[in-house]
Amino acid sequence: MKILIVDDFSTMRRIVKNLLRDLGFTNTAEADDGQTALPMLQSGDFDFLVTDWNMPGMQGIDLLKSVRADPNLKDLPVLMVTAEAKREQIVEAAQAGVNGYIVKPFTAGTLKEKIDKIFERIDGN
Amino acid sequence: METQDKLMADVTLEQAKHLLDCLEEGNIQAARETIDSLSQIREASLFCEVGKLTRQLHEALANFQLDDKIAGLAAQEIPDAKDRLNYVIETTENAANKTMDSVEQCLPISENIRDTADNLLGDWERLYRRELKPGEFRELASRVEEFLKSVGNDSTELNKLLTDVLVAQDYQDLTGQVIRKVITLVQDVEENLVDLVKMFGRTEDFKRAQNETKKVTGAEGPVIDKNRDDVLTNQDDVDDLLSSLGF
Repeated sequence: MKILIVDDFSTMRRIVKNLLRDLGFTNTAEADDGQTALPMLQSGDFDFLVTDWNMPGMQGIDLLKSVRADPNLKDLPVLMVTAEAKREQIVEAAQAGVNGYIVKPFTAGTLKEKIDKIFERIDGN
Repeated sequence: METQDKLMADVTLEQAKHLLDCLEEGNIQAARETIDSLSQIREASLFCEVGKLTRQLHEALANFQLDDKIAGLAAQEIPDAKDRLNYVIETTENAANKTMDSVEQCLPISENIRDTADNLLGDWERLYRRELKPGEFRELASRVEEFLKSVGNDSTELNKLLTDVLVAQDYQDLTGQVIRKVITLVQDVEENLVDLVKMFGRTEDFKRAQNETKKVTGAEGPVIDKNRDDVLTNQDDVDDLLSSLGF
C-alpha cells in the first residue's frame, strides 16, 4: 500500500506520516501542494491519497477534481484532512468524489476510523 | 462669547435708538456719524467670526498630525509586526519538529521493550510448562538479565527524550508575548483608521460596514468565529452532513 501525503506544512505531513506508520502503512511519499502531487500520482503507483485543502499553487479540492478527471487515477481513494469546515465546502468535496473528510485538529483515532471505513467500502465493492 | 454678543447687541440697540432720535431731531450730521459707528460694530463682529474660523482651521490642522502617526505605523510598526509573525511561524515549526524528533526516537525504544518482553514472556511460560531443556534455561536466564539491564538504560534514554519534549514547549511563552504585541498594534491601527474615517465624515459608511455580514467563499483556513452558522465545528457534525449526503 503506497500512500501520498499532500500538505503545505511539513509538520502536518510529518504527523500524518507518523500516524500512518503506526497504523502499519510504512510506504509513504510527500508533496507540498497539488501541482507537485499530480505528476507524482500520474507517474507513481499510489494506492491512496491524503490531502489538505488550503495550499498555495493547486488547492486540494482542485487536486481531487483533477484525480477524478484522469482516467488512470479516477478510482484512487482520496481522504481530505483539512481545517476547511464550511458546509458548502464539505458538500463540494463530496460532490467532487472525496472518499473521506477529516477536519483539523484531528486525533489518531479519527484517522484510523476513516481509513478503515474507506477500505471496508472498497473491499465490499 | 455669549456675553460679548449680548454686549454688542446692547450697544447696537443704543446706537439705533440714538440714530432714531437724531433723525427725529433733524440732526443729519449726527445721524450719519451714528450710521458709521453702527457699521463699525458690524465689521467688529465679522472679525470675531473670522477669528472663530481661524481657530477651527488650526484645530483641524492639528488633528492632521494623526497622519504622522499613521506614517509611523506603516513605515515601522507594520513591517516589524510582519517580522514578529514570521518569528511565530518559525518558532512553532521548530518546536513541532523538535518534539517530533524526540517522539520518533522514543517510539523504536518503547517498541523494542515491548517486543523483547513479549518474547521473554513466551519462553517464561514454556519454563512454567517445563518445556525448556537445561541449555535453553541458561540461555533464557542470560536473556532476562540482559533485558533487565537494558530496561534501565532505555528508561534513562526515554526520560531524556521526554524532557526534551517538555522543554520544546517553551515556544508557547515566547510566541504568546510576541502575538500579544501584534494584537496591541492591530488595535492601534484600528483606532487610527476609525479616527480617519470620522475625520472625513464617513461615520455612516462605517456604521453600515460594521453591520454588514461578510461572505467568504473558498478556502480560508480555521474559522475562529463561533457564531458563524455556515461552519461546522467538529468531526461529528461533518460525519452527519456527509451521511445525509449518502456517504
